[in-house]
Amino acid sequence: MASVTEQRAPGSQLGLIERLPWRRIILVVLSALILLFVVVGSYKTLTLPADERYTSTTWKNFVILGLAQGAIIGLIALGYTLVYGILRMINFAHGEVFMFGAYTSFFFSDAWEQSGFLNTNPWLSMALLILIAMIASMIVALLLERIAYRPLRNAPRLVPLITAIGASLFLANTARGFFGAQSRGYGVPTALEGTWTILGVNVNRIQIVVLITVIVSVVALSVFVSRTTTGKSMRAVAADSEIASLMGINVDRVIVTTFAIGGLLAGIAAVLFAITFESVSFSMGFRPGIAAFTAAVLGGIGSITGAALGGVLLGLLQSVGPALILTGYGIPSSFQLKDAFTFLVLVLVLIFRPGGLLGSGEAEKV
Amino acid sequence: MRVPTTSIVRAAMLGGVAAIFIALVGLYTKFATLELVGEQITLGRLLIVAPALTAAFAVTRPRIEAGARRMVSLRDGVIAGVLTGLGTGIVFAAATWFADVFGVDRIREVFVSVTDELIAFLTFDRGIPGGLVILVVLCVAGGAVGGFARTAPDDVRKPASVGVLAVLLFGLLQRIVPIVLVELGYEADWLYRAGSGLTVLGGAVVFVAAAGADVLWNRGGRQVRDRVRKTTESAPAARLGLFLVLVAILVILPLLLGSVISETLGQVMIYVLLGLGLNIVVGYAGLLDLGYVAFFAFGAYTTGLLTGAFLNTTTGAAQPALSADLNFYVAVWIVALLAAGVGLLIGAPVLRLRGDYLAIVTLGLGEIVSVITASKWAQPLIGGPQGMRGVTKAEIFGLNPQDDPQHFYYLALAFVLLAAFVSWRLSTSRIGRAWTAMREDEQVADATGISTTKFKLLAFAMGGAIGSLGGALFAVSIGSLTPASFEITVSITALAVVILGGLGSIPGVVVGALVLIGLPGLLREFEDYRPLIYGGALVAIMILRPQGLIPNVRRTRELEEEEVAQDAWAKDAGGEAEAVAAVLPGGALGGEREDLE
Repeated sequence: MASVTEQRAPGSQLGLIERLPWRRIILVVLSALILLFVVVGSYKTLTLPADERYTSTTWKNFVILGLAQGAIIGLIALGYTLVYGILRMINFAHGEVFMFGAYTSFFFSDAWEQSGFLNTNPWLSMALLILIAMIASMIVALLLERIAYRPLRNAPRLVPLITAIGASLFLANTARGFFGAQSRGYGVPTALEGTWTILGVNVNRIQIVVLITVIVSVVALSVFVSRTTTGKSMRAVAADSEIASLMGINVDRVIVTTFAIGGLLAGIAAVLFAITFESVSFSMGFRPGIAAFTAAVLGGIGSITGAALGGVLLGLLQSVGPALILTGYGIPSSFQLKDAFTFLVLVLVLIFRPGGLLGSGEAEKV
Repeated sequence: MRVPTTSIVRAAMLGGVAAIFIALVGLYTKFATLELVGEQITLGRLLIVAPALTAAFAVTRPRIEAGARRMVSLRDGVIAGVLTGLGTGIVFAAATWFADVFGVDRIREVFVSVTDELIAFLTFDRGIPGGLVILVVLCVAGGAVGGFARTAPDDVRKPASVGVLAVLLFGLLQRIVPIVLVELGYEADWLYRAGSGLTVLGGAVVFVAAAGADVLWNRGGRQVRDRVRKTTESAPAARLGLFLVLVAILVILPLLLGSVISETLGQVMIYVLLGLGLNIVVGYAGLLDLGYVAFFAFGAYTTGLLTGAFLNTTTGAAQPALSADLNFYVAVWIVALLAAGVGLLIGAPVLRLRGDYLAIVTLGLGEIVSVITASKWAQPLIGGPQGMRGVTKAEIFGLNPQDDPQHFYYLALAFVLLAAFVSWRLSTSRIGRAWTAMREDEQVADATGISTTKFKLLAFAMGGAIGSLGGALFAVSIGSLTPASFEITVSITALAVVILGGLGSIPGVVVGALVLIGLPGLLREFEDYRPLIYGGALVAIMILRPQGLIPNVRRTRELEEEEVAQDAWAKDAGGEAEAVAAVLPGGALGGEREDLE
């Protein structure tokens, strides 16, 4: 016995270098460096000579743009969060679900633009387009669940993830084969062009439409999840699917419902994204998909408010961040690094606060 | 046992939908003219039959009934196959007819692949009612074959399947086999038609030869193989001999294949290297790394910088902000060493993350590298969007790897052999066993005294070093670097290579790279559909065969040896436990004991 205690005593086996808490030291140094980088960059940007500095209107535009894009990202992020909450899997192909919604609505929008319906009934056509995209995205999400994920329900966790990556690639290139490789211009009704003045600030009409639609959708989802029976069973399955099934909840149906809701939300986001950027393409799902996943992780994956909040924060970060932090260092075309920002945030959140801002920080997941 | 009618109807519907999918995605028109055997059997036409065949094959599978596994009889199987084929054909023909009636031009506004050529192809240029009958008949035939392939007696269906697969393979390798034969001094006019697939006679000969070989193999080949395996396992000299023969074949190969195919082989080699590196991280250590492109890019750009490449700018070539003018064979080791350092840097902060979170973080890191590579910010150092050119030609002993694909092949082969050797030694070493333990259960591994931190970092460093060698080779092979070569697709392709071959299996990586990089590289028609095929392959493998084409030998052998050990125990129940140790010279048990010390 004596030899055992002796072996466990610190220092007998480990050298001084191995005993230091390296991980913590690296993290502290890393966070200090990042903080320094951000503060110095912002300071430099804000104290640039007047002719090089951004005007306050530009900053306001950045913020509104960030809010609108963040809202869309948040809407997609809800799909990730709902599925993760219930299946503990990252539905990597969710970006492609979004893309199919956008493409399907594009063909209607294109036809209506040529027939003039889009401009004579702008609000009705927008509502119909969103409905069409919702249905299309929902169908893709359900097919995905049925064909790719359901056979792997009880497989080790990396297996469905690899499947999801494959499905993402497959769906994106299916769209390429179906609809062609070039991107297509998405028509916007003339009623939505131009700006409205709200509280003395000129805001693009599209951005207002985007924000209102997203707020309505998120509220509707919250009500659904908290008030209806289906919502209650969703929460039950998310908490513990085995116990939930013992309580008589049909877990399979809850999973299908969750994918359907994720698809519906992705469809709404798809139309909003398409009218914001006025184009659709087969590869449009990848980057927003990753951004949305980041937002879901940032807010705390599994939490609905977290996803929405994470989306808005990420949107702001993407639009304001590069300009605020990088311009000061004299980095040319800092907007090219927008996506690097997204990923950096993702990496940092996972390293420092894996549970996310509103998450419980479950140790099991990480 | 008869096949339930509802199953047949469902399979037929799915087959029809699959056929429509293939049509819409544009595969039929793409492969319409790729002749495999004679003028009539093209890859496109095989794709017409494929959905019915697959549906019939699936629907006649053995079923569990009342706790027993029930096979479908040959007669019922063929009938079910014919019915499935008929259903598939009817759905397919109806869709074609609908497309023609509704108007091809109107459909093309949405589905760009629907053209008059597609309709003509699907109706065999015979117009609507007549051509559709042929279509349905073909699908019925496909269904019958599918049912037959599943339910016929083993000594018929196995040789027949092998024969068909061999014909298919020889047809697809139409750019390789004739060249090899000519290089060997053999005219093969009767086998291959000039610049096209097999002749009808050639197809028949290949079929008979392959089927015959299979029959012979089953008669006596297995015993021969077992004897060979036994001698190679007991005598290291025999194993070494086998290895030398393999290397000799690999060395002669490019001389037989000519420069065009050697170029493809060179690309395969690069992905074998990437696969070997990723295999250490994913296959051995079980850490899913989706940002492997970071190491590939690092290797390529660092090689460029260290060997004196220039930046592309609008005004011409410029010197990078940091550069050296080293010989490639010196620089490449520095690159590998630096990449191992980068692996440690990436690995350190993400150590605590497991499973899917790790995957996403590495994906993010990989994307950061891609974005930065392509940004103007990186212009002064690595050329940004314009990239670099003038990477060293890595000349050695009068070989010029950059301009001569055959020479590049040798360079790549040397690196691949080195990496394979290192992987192999690692996998059978104490480190490899620690990785295995960590992959199977991290907490248990930790509890048994394996420093998971150390071994995770080691996996990242080793994987990074090997991946950077792939990047260095890539830089040498094309001589100029642009950000377009360093996107997420590289990570996904490398992952597909590892997974198709089988996680943790070195031969698997080679086979995976040959199938995923080599085959499409030889048939230019595949080019546009590569990602589609990769994605589909990933999903299909994960669902149907998660262990990959060539599963990890060590794990299979361990399982086998466990059985042997149990038999030995049973036999020597009298108490001669030493017999077990004799059966397992340094085998699974000995290894574990060492791990537990």
